[in-house]
Amino acid sequence: MPKGEALGEFEYLVVLAVLRLGANAYGMRVRQEIASRTGRDVTIGAVYSTLERLADKGLLKASMSDPTPERGGRAKRSFAVTGIGIEAANRARQDMASMLEGLEFPLPGGRQ
Amino acid sequence: MNPPAWARFVLGLIAGENQAEFVAGDLHEEFLLLCASEGELAASRWYGRQVVRSVAGLIGLRFRSGEAAHLLSAAIAVAMPLLLLDRLWSFVYSHIPFKDGLDRAPGFWAANLVCACISAAVCGSQTQSLNRAMGVALAAAVGAACALWCSAAAAPVFYAGLVILAAPASSMAVFMWRGWR
Repeated sequence: MPKGEALGEFEYLVVLAVLRLGANAYGMRVRQEIASRTGRDVTIGAVYSTLERLADKGLLKASMSDPTPERGGRAKRSFAVTGIGIEAANRARQDMASMLEGLEFPLPGGRQ
Repeated sequence: MNPPAWARFVLGLIAGENQAEFVAGDLHEEFLLLCASEGELAASRWYGRQVVRSVAGLIGLRFRSGEAAHLLSAAIAVAMPLLLLDRLWSFVYSHIPFKDGLDRAPGFWAANLVCACISAAVCGSQTQSLNRAMGVALAAAVGAACALWCSAAAAPVFYAGLVILAAPASSMAVFMWRGWR
């Protein structure tokens, strides 16, 4: 994979959230998944910005669904991880594991 | 139960036409869930905060989708005639003997105003959706403000205000007129 296509930290979280949610992966669910698992107050703008960037890179594929009443009659844009996206997630996991190897957590010197 | 009108308006203004529908849909869905669990007031506050904090991300998305090119064109289309006319009037004035200062005759200001409105109206006539028409109107106002700021002669406040309001208004008026027809 070219260097420019390595996943950033938030991109990695978004890809993992989409993988976890499966067929139910769309902006609101991705936002909730990241917020509930990491405790971060993520905005819908940041989530969509990342989802669209990953779709442009070919790591995700997007599809539109029909409008529903609970969405105020608006359509939904769902996302799924592509083969390239799976490769990128595996690579990010490998990179992280190799950087963590030999370190003991919690690291000393941090705030208690 | 509906999210706050101001937040929906801001969302419609900043989200690109490709994103506006599903971003608004997602926020609406979560808003209803929050209304049921935490009450309408808390849900409205949450909705407003989401919209305000999403501004940068949604504008970035709009740029990437290529829609920003249209907005930039509208801003330039309004700014260019104002700047060119300003330079033309400067040139004309430089050939008038005993003319000191750059104060323009009212006729010159009026010509600038008409040109800016025509340019903005042409941009408005090219838009296909309300979302984009609002974006183009905003871009026209920004273009007009930038051109006034860059002009050689200090523009009277009344004229400046008129140009900044009339350019986007012409753009929206032509869009509405086309829709009505």
